[in-house]
Amino acid sequence: MTLEIQNVSKRYQKDNFGLKNFSITIEKGILGLLGPNGAGKSTLLKMIATVSKPSEGLICLNKNNIVKDPNYIRQQLGFLPQDFGVYPNLNAFEFLTYMAAMKGVGGTNLKKRIYQLLEGLNLIDTAKKPIGSYSGGMKQRVGIAQALLNDPRVVIFDEPTVGLDPEERVRFRNLISDLANDCIIILSSHIVSDIDTIADKVAVMKTGTLLAHDNPESLVNQVQGKVYSITISKEQLPKFKTDYLVVSTARKNQQLEVRYLADQPIANATLKEANLEDAYLYLTKTKS
Amino acid sequence: MKFLFALIKYDYLQRTRSYTFLITLCASLAIAYTFVPAPDANYSTMRIGDYIGEYNSAWFGYVTAIMTSVFLSLVGFYLVSSSIKSDGITKVGQIVATTGISNFKYLLIKSLTNFMVLLTLMSIIFLMSIALFLLYNDGFDLKLISFIKPYLVIALPSLFFISILAVVFEVIFRKYTVLQNVLFFFCFASLLVFRPKTEVQYGLDVFGSKIITDHLEETVKEIKSLDDATGLTIGYVLGTQNASKKFTFTGFDFPSSFLFSRLLLIGVSIALIWVVALFFHRFDYKSIANVKGTKKITGQLNPLKDLNISSLPQIATNYSIAPMIKMELLMLFRKGKRWLWIVNFIGMLLLVMLPLKVSHQIVLPILWFLQVHRLSDLAIKENLHNMHYFVFSSQAPLKRLLGSQLISAIVLMLIVASPLFVRYAFMGEIAQVLAIVIGGLFLVLLSAIMGLISKGKKLFEVVFFLVTYANINTIPFVDYFGGINASTKTSIILGILIFLISLATLMLRKRQLVQL
Repeated sequence: MTLEIQNVSKRYQKDNFGLKNFSITIEKGILGLLGPNGAGKSTLLKMIATVSKPSEGLICLNKNNIVKDPNYIRQQLGFLPQDFGVYPNLNAFEFLTYMAAMKGVGGTNLKKRIYQLLEGLNLIDTAKKPIGSYSGGMKQRVGIAQALLNDPRVVIFDEPTVGLDPEERVRFRNLISDLANDCIIILSSHIVSDIDTIADKVAVMKTGTLLAHDNPESLVNQVQGKVYSITISKEQLPKFKTDYLVVSTARKNQQLEVRYLADQPIANATLKEANLEDAYLYLTKTKS
Repeated sequence: MKFLFALIKYDYLQRTRSYTFLITLCASLAIAYTFVPAPDANYSTMRIGDYIGEYNSAWFGYVTAIMTSVFLSLVGFYLVSSSIKSDGITKVGQIVATTGISNFKYLLIKSLTNFMVLLTLMSIIFLMSIALFLLYNDGFDLKLISFIKPYLVIALPSLFFISILAVVFEVIFRKYTVLQNVLFFFCFASLLVFRPKTEVQYGLDVFGSKIITDHLEETVKEIKSLDDATGLTIGYVLGTQNASKKFTFTGFDFPSSFLFSRLLLIGVSIALIWVVALFFHRFDYKSIANVKGTKKITGQLNPLKDLNISSLPQIATNYSIAPMIKMELLMLFRKGKRWLWIVNFIGMLLLVMLPLKVSHQIVLPILWFLQVHRLSDLAIKENLHNMHYFVFSSQAPLKRLLGSQLISAIVLMLIVASPLFVRYAFMGEIAQVLAIVIGGLFLVLLSAIMGLISKGKKLFEVVFFLVTYANINTIPFVDYFGGINASTKTSIILGILIFLISLATLMLRKRQLVQL
């Protein structure tokens, strides 16, 4: 199973691109998609999900051009958009039945599958209540359920952990790992920790272009030996920020412990083990 | 005071930069064009017996001001209502609620913005009436004061009142939009038929038109000794213009008591805002929900379980449209308040019990109009509910989704009309049966295309309302369901129209899918 994105651009106005000449090949497994706001992550995901058409370029799933034949991927797609709504007058069971009809799936096992999905997502007690009465977290679960309804081979999750608490995030990650055995899963998130433990590959995007596409270890290796920690006063921080790429700061006894990236250490700085967040910041702040 | 102006300005800009406003503006221009018929046109809008006024400035100014006052009051209410609701949807309301602005000021801002929107439309119609006067030049001089005076005294206070009424209704009836619309229609109809008997009672005429129309009647009576039976007609009357005789109308001096009553209307309107401000929910939806009984599910959410995806039951492919029609029908039936179905059932009973002519001509269009909230978002509900990414990424959405939406809506319309339908079928009146089917089909497609064009519900709601109103008043060229005359010719014309609308709907939906 291969999803090829070849020289894809999305042009909104003459010189305004959401995505520019973007190419990537995605194989079976989990691809983590990272990038700051406006990087083009959602634009890319919408085009793969066939709700938006590229201005230029090709998107092929198993050599089938899905720009020309979107129904090919739709048959095997599970899509959870970043921002979605529901029909408030339907209950969760009816909503999933509606989505099953939309996706073109049915049969004798449909009810059973919906029931088990609702059971697994712990929505069964409220399954007969109108979704309009659901909280944000419950709606997010309904969104996850609909994405898994049709036994998808390509699953797109755009910011899926919004509305989920830390424990749920862990369980959601387990759920995705289980799914990844024979599917393509594309997972977009602002939260690097949502991605670094489960992604087989990570793609980092910025201003509609691909900065890097590799496994997490290789990306982390790019900044290994460049991550330092130092304790400074609050007054020193503004100047420090102009000189170095600061990853994070933490208060420590009226002082600040600063994690930063640099090619050479400075006095009193301690070398730290690099992680994906360091690599992500390094790529997005230093490359264009 | 300065910040009030700023808030009104930006609220006004937000609302006039919408596609709906642009369409309403164009529609207003088109309708304003018909307010004073061209000299050779075969219809009239205001006449007294067989008489119409000479095309001088006064006739143009007063007729268009009266028509604007009545027409814009009706359409304008539907256009400007839901301004508070939209603040709730965009969540701006919740931000406003956290600021120091008082309920009265907030509602006043909303009312004044409503008024600004209607004032913009009125200004366009005003300019149009002057342009038409110059275009149809009948040898009379342009007297600007004859245009300004009636607009200022008749139309302006009416529109101010309507702007405020829209806010008052929204505060009182909260989310019950259908109730607001239906109740406004009854208020409007009652105000329209109100006949003042004394000079003081003219002050109670919200539209401010009766004092002029009565004066016109008196003038004609004095000239030609006409009796009451051949009195005033306001509205679009076909085939009468050529038989018209002319009289001279030079304007009207409004008595000071009437001018005072118009000012009083403005004052009373502002007082109304002050009163309803005491009951304004201030976007505290939780307490509203508790009052109305639709509670949000609260409390801690049970954590996700360890769901094993691979062990879920396998499902089969099923591209049949039938399950989608079933679900679309379920949504259509469930939409709106349950008590509306009681009204529907009463209407359906009336279709059985009343004489055929009344059932077909009066009850059916009203009964169909009661489904307006079900039809108005038919082809755009996925966008309105932010469901479009789900549904447009599913299997063959162009034909399957649109097809199921249209079919389910047609089924609904036919179910509602079924008693009449069956009566005609038993009588062997196939032409009538066909006319009803075509009527239902036409309405459904009209709702779909108007939704897709305007990307909102209001255009269809206003048009459907006007068409229903016209049908109840037996205006023939809007008879889409054979209520007045179910001829084969009309059916063929409607059939062609349905075919063209279907094509356009399909193209627009296709474009919508591509343009996301």
